Amino acid sequence: MSWSINTASPSRSRGLLAGAIALCLAGICYAQTPELRAPSTTVAGSSSSISTTGSGSATFYLIGPGVSSKRDVSLGADVQISSSELQNAGRYLAIICAGICHNAQFFVTPAAPASLTFLVHPSRAPVGLNDVLSGVALPFDQFRNLVLQPAPVKFHLTAGSASILSREISTQDGVAWFRTNSGRTAGPLQVNASIEAAAITSSADVSALRIVQQVAADPCNLRIKGERNANGIVVETEPVRDCAGNPVPDGTIVTFTARGSGDGMSTVDAPLKRGIAKAQMTETGAVVVSAASGVVMGNELHLGAQ
Amino acid sequence: MTMVQTSRRLAAVVTTALIFSVAAALGFAADTDTAPKVTIDVSKAGPRTVEAMTEHSILRDYIFAWENLAHTLEANAPDLLNGSFTGASETQLIESVTNQRRSGVSARYLNQSHKVDAVFYAPEGDLIELHDTVQFNLMIVDGNNKIFDQPVEAHYVVLLTPGADRWVVRQLQEVEHF
Repeated sequence: MSWSINTASPSRSRGLLAGAIALCLAGICYAQTPELRAPSTTVAGSSSSISTTGSGSATFYLIGPGVSSKRDVSLGADVQISSSELQNAGRYLAIICAGICHNAQFFVTPAAPASLTFLVHPSRAPVGLNDVLSGVALPFDQFRNLVLQPAPVKFHLTAGSASILSREISTQDGVAWFRTNSGRTAGPLQVNASIEAAAITSSADVSALRIVQQVAADPCNLRIKGERNANGIVVETEPVRDCAGNPVPDGTIVTFTARGSGDGMSTVDAPLKRGIAKAQMTETGAVVVSAASGVVMGNELHLGAQ
Repeated sequence: MTMVQTSRRLAAVVTTALIFSVAAALGFAADTDTAPKVTIDVSKAGPRTVEAMTEHSILRDYIFAWENLAHTLEANAPDLLNGSFTGASETQLIESVTNQRRSGVSARYLNQSHKVDAVFYAPEGDLIELHDTVQFNLMIVDGNNKIFDQPVEAHYVVLLTPGADRWVVRQLQEVEHF
């Protein structure tokens, strides 16, 4: 640290010295002030250095997101900041204390995308529904910083060999998203989000894959047939399919209702097994049997008395 | 009971009441120092519309999160996070506490005033992104030495996701500007 006082006039110099001491006592010791010079921004995971002025020793603090370090340094030399101390994006405070503390601030920005967080809904979707599928992709760098620089995300949806959707959307505020219809065929739908390496000056593509199980929609054209047997009536559906021809999953409940000529009515719930629901009903008189599954009604079956 | 005894007892009661009042006032003052003031605007969030109840929950839980953050970094006690943070943000705050303990430093976020804009609300409601412009006095202390004490304006990009009973902060990332 350097002092320089003009001593040309003794009385003037005494005045200057008194003034300087007064300033120092007030905490404004200008000539002894160590200064810090930090880079304005640094990319996450890079090392950096902060230059200091002055001479002597001081205590250096680095305070940032997830970081709080303290070390003794020599003024006038550069303070090296290792890459491991600069992994989290955000504001960093470099503070140097030698009697008085001074600080400099700088920002660490996210590195290139290294992974994608990809939220896709729902995990199972009926076929042929509008705007039922949605996906949200967020690029993160290798240190889990959200990458806010716009990056082009390619969404690609394929069912078997058929492409359902292929769209490129640039991230905005670190987010890219889509919403689309489900396909026409039941089965696994591959939902892929990717950022090409060339778009982000990276060595490898970044991608994430999710699977949505597309299932048959509600039954369509529910049809039943039946006949009498020794115990009453046995009724069953034809193979139950949705309107796109996909077999409705086994376990789907079909409700059979038998109405007699009077007030009598009985119902039986039967699950689909291998695409067919079957029920034994005990009515012996003339009955009208109907079937329903969800909101879909089937045909009526008229059977005479036993 | 004599007149002297009565007046002594009265004086003791008044003194006790005064001590409690001062303590309560000090406690209140301490609370107001760390209780964040937050305003939120969800009108620009999309593609999903933020319902009034959701807005209320987010506001409540975000205030709680910042209170917890301030208490945690002041006391260097990660338990005070109270489950308000998860994922990368929780890891980062725990690292901060560990490193602050090691270096003997603590940080105080005083007089917080947040202006929050919701900029993205996922189609299925499982993620919301906030942009928070916050002003506070940041005081950093090493033992008994104040090494930094300045007003700060900061811009945070925040990702919140719904937890079991509240919204939790998944990402809290400061940026130079929006």
